[in-house]
Amino acid sequence: MDSVSAKFIHDRFSDYYRINLSTIQPPSAIEKREFGFILFKERMMVRHKAFRTVERLRDFLKEIVPSDAYYSSAYYELPEEKMEAKGRLGTDLIFDIDADHISTPCQKTHDRWICRGCGHNSKGLPPETCPSCGYEKFEEKSWMCEICLDSAKNETIKLIDFLMKDFGYSSEEIDVSFSGHRGYHVSVEKNEVHALDQVARREIVDYIIGIGIEPELHGLSERPERGTRIIAGPSLDALGWRGRIARGTYELLLSSAPQDLRNMGIKPKTASAISKHSERLLRSWKDEGPWSVVRDVGAESWMKLALYGVEKESAKIDTVVTTDIHRLIRLENTLHGKTGLKKAKVAATSIEGFDPFESAVAFKKGTAKVKISSAPQFRLGDESYGPYQNETVELPTAVALLLLCKRRAKMV
Amino acid sequence: MAKYPFLPEASKFMRELGIKISDLGKPEYRFILDRAENRIEGAILFGTTGDKSPKDDVEIPSFPIAVILVAATKNSLIRKRYALAEAKRISDLLKSEDKEKIIRIAGTFNWRMRPKARTTSTICDFTLHYTDFLKCAPVFHDKKWKLVNRQMSEGAVCLTVHEAARLLEEEIRRHIEKKLEIDVVSLPEAVMSRVSLLAQLFKEKRVVPSDKPSGEIVTSAFPPCIANLHSEIASGRNVSHIGRFALTSFLINIGMTTEEVMNLFKSLPDFNERLTRYQVEHIAGDRGSRTQYKPPRCDTLRTHGVCPSMDVMCEGVRHPLTYYRRKLRNVQRKPPI
Repeated sequence: MDSVSAKFIHDRFSDYYRINLSTIQPPSAIEKREFGFILFKERMMVRHKAFRTVERLRDFLKEIVPSDAYYSSAYYELPEEKMEAKGRLGTDLIFDIDADHISTPCQKTHDRWICRGCGHNSKGLPPETCPSCGYEKFEEKSWMCEICLDSAKNETIKLIDFLMKDFGYSSEEIDVSFSGHRGYHVSVEKNEVHALDQVARREIVDYIIGIGIEPELHGLSERPERGTRIIAGPSLDALGWRGRIARGTYELLLSSAPQDLRNMGIKPKTASAISKHSERLLRSWKDEGPWSVVRDVGAESWMKLALYGVEKESAKIDTVVTTDIHRLIRLENTLHGKTGLKKAKVAATSIEGFDPFESAVAFKKGTAKVKISSAPQFRLGDESYGPYQNETVELPTAVALLLLCKRRAKMV
Repeated sequence: MAKYPFLPEASKFMRELGIKISDLGKPEYRFILDRAENRIEGAILFGTTGDKSPKDDVEIPSFPIAVILVAATKNSLIRKRYALAEAKRISDLLKSEDKEKIIRIAGTFNWRMRPKARTTSTICDFTLHYTDFLKCAPVFHDKKWKLVNRQMSEGAVCLTVHEAARLLEEEIRRHIEKKLEIDVVSLPEAVMSRVSLLAQLFKEKRVVPSDKPSGEIVTSAFPPCIANLHSEIASGRNVSHIGRFALTSFLINIGMTTEEVMNLFKSLPDFNERLTRYQVEHIAGDRGSRTQYKPPRCDTLRTHGVCPSMDVMCEGVRHPLTYYRRKLRNVQRKPPI
C-alpha cells in the first residue's frame, strides 16, 4: 500500500480511538484474558498482553492505534505468559459464522482469487489447485455484499434458535455481534460452559451442523403392523432435532420440484409419487405426518429426504473456531483492519432487523477523494455506491476507508 | 452405604471407625483386609469385585482399604482394571434402583439430573444437563451417544435408566481411578506382602504382548499409524473403533493368527473376551461373510485421525500394507552385523 493511503487509514483509526474510547467495553473478567493486536506497521501481531482494568486497555488502544484488536475466549491465571505457562481456567463457548463458509450465488460475481504461483486469476472461490500451474496457494479478494451478509445473518438466526431452544440459554445469555467484515460472532460466557473440553465442543458443533445425525434415532422408522409396513416419523412441533427434521422435510416437500427430488437421489417413480400427492402430504402434517401416506414413498426415500431437511435446518458455523479453546476474538466496538467498520453488538432478539451496513459504520463525517481500481455496487448507511472501474471519486470517509482497507482504491 | 462406598456418608462412617493405616497389620483387621484383597482378585481375574460381605463394618471399609492396596501396587493397569470392576458393579446395581437414588448419586458428582415421566412418544426417565452429559458420553462409540442423536430441549438431554447407569459407570470409573493415584508411602509389612501377591497374580494373568508375536511379524516394519496403535493397545490404552479395526485387520493380513491378536487386546481395561473374539474372527474371515477384511487406505485413516504423522516411506504409499511390504524388503536386505 502507498504511504499516503496508509497514513490516511492510520489517522482515521487514530481519530476513532480518540473520540470513541468510552464505547470500548471490556470482556467479562478482563484481568484473566489475553489480548492481541495487529499493528499497522509491518502488520505484526502483538500477543500475550493483559490489562487489569478497562482504562488501561483504552489507554493502550489510543496509544498504539492497532489495525485489529482481539481478546481470548479463554480465561487464564497468567494471561501474559507463554501459551504453555498461562494456566487456562476455562473458555467461553464461541461461534463464528462467516460468509466465506456459506456458498452464495453472488460469490461468483464479486470474489476473485489470484494464484500466488503464476498470477492466474478468476472469479469466485479459489479452486483446490491452480488450473494453470497446479499451485495450491491463493490470494483471495472477497467482497462483503448484502446477499452474503444476509445469508450469514440467516445462519446466525438459526444458531440462536439452537442455543435458546435446544441448549436452554436466554437471549440475555447469548452475545451476538457483527464482526465488521463478513460474518457474525456469537458467544455464551456462562460458567457451565467454561470447563467443556475440545471433544465436548466438537459434539456441540456436530449438533448444530447436524453431523452424524441418524434420523432413526429421532423416531423415523419402519415397523410391521397387521401384515403391512408402517413408517413413523417425528412431528413438526417435536422438541430438539426431531422437530427440526420434520420441519426441514416439510420445507423440502414444499419447495422441491420432481427434478430437485431426483437430484437428491430419489427414484423417478418415487419423485413423481411425491409431487402427485403433494397436497395430501402437506395436509398430513396436522395428524401423523407424511411418512406413511403414500405407498410408493418408502423408508429409504424418507431417510434421504430427512437428511436434506437436516441440511436446511442446520446452522453453518465454522467448526474450527468453536473447538479451539485458545481462540482470539475481535473486541467489540474496535475497528476491523480490512474494512474500517466496527465490530457491532446486536441483541439476540433483534437480529432479524439488524443492518450491518448501518450499525457498523464508524465514521459519520467528512469526505475523501480516492482513485478506485474496481469495486462492485454496494451500500453503506442509506446510500448506494458504485460500481466503479478506474475512476476518481470524492466519497464519505467511511466509504473511502472501506475501499482503501479493501485495497480497491488509493488516496489521490 | 455398603453398595456405594464412595458416597460422603461412607467416608463419614470410615472416619468414625478410625482405622489407622499403621494398624492394618493387626489381627482385628484381618477380615477387612481379606475382603479388600478379594475385591481386587475378583477385578484381576474376572472383572468383578468378589462376593459381598454380610457385615457392614467389613464391607464398607474394605473398599477404601482396597483402594490403598491397589494404589500401593503402583501399576496403572491394575488401577484401570480395578476401577472398571468397581464401576461395573455399581452400574449393575443402579439399573434396579429407584430414580431418586440414581439422582442422588448423580448429585454427588454435581450432575444436574431430574426425573421425568415416560410419555407415549418418548422413552425418557431422566433429563441431564448437556454439559454433564458431554463429560462422559463422547467416550462411547455407539451413534446413540452422540449429542446430535439425543433428544434435547432447554439444555436437558433425555436418558433412560440404563443410559443413566451407563454414564454414571463411566464417571464413577474415572472417580475411582483418580482415587487410586494416591501415593501410598508405607504400609505394614504384612499388608505389603498382600500387595506383592496381588501384583504377582496380575502378572501371571496378563499375557504380555511380545515384540515379535510370531516368526513372520516384523514390528520395526510397521507404518507409523500401526506402530502407534500397536503401542497404545500394548500399554492398555483405549483406542477408537476404527483404530482397533485398522490394527486387527493389518495384523491378520500380515499373517498373525486370531489367537495372537486376541492376546494383544487382553491388556485393555475393558477387554471382553467373547466380543473381541467375535470381532477378530469376523475381520479374519472365520465368521460371517467369510471375507478377510483389509485395513482402510491411508486417506481414510487420515480422515478419522488415525494417521499420526507421515514419515519418508509414507510418501508414495496409499495403503499401510504396501508400506509394510516395502519396508520389509528394505529391512531384510540389510546385511547382518
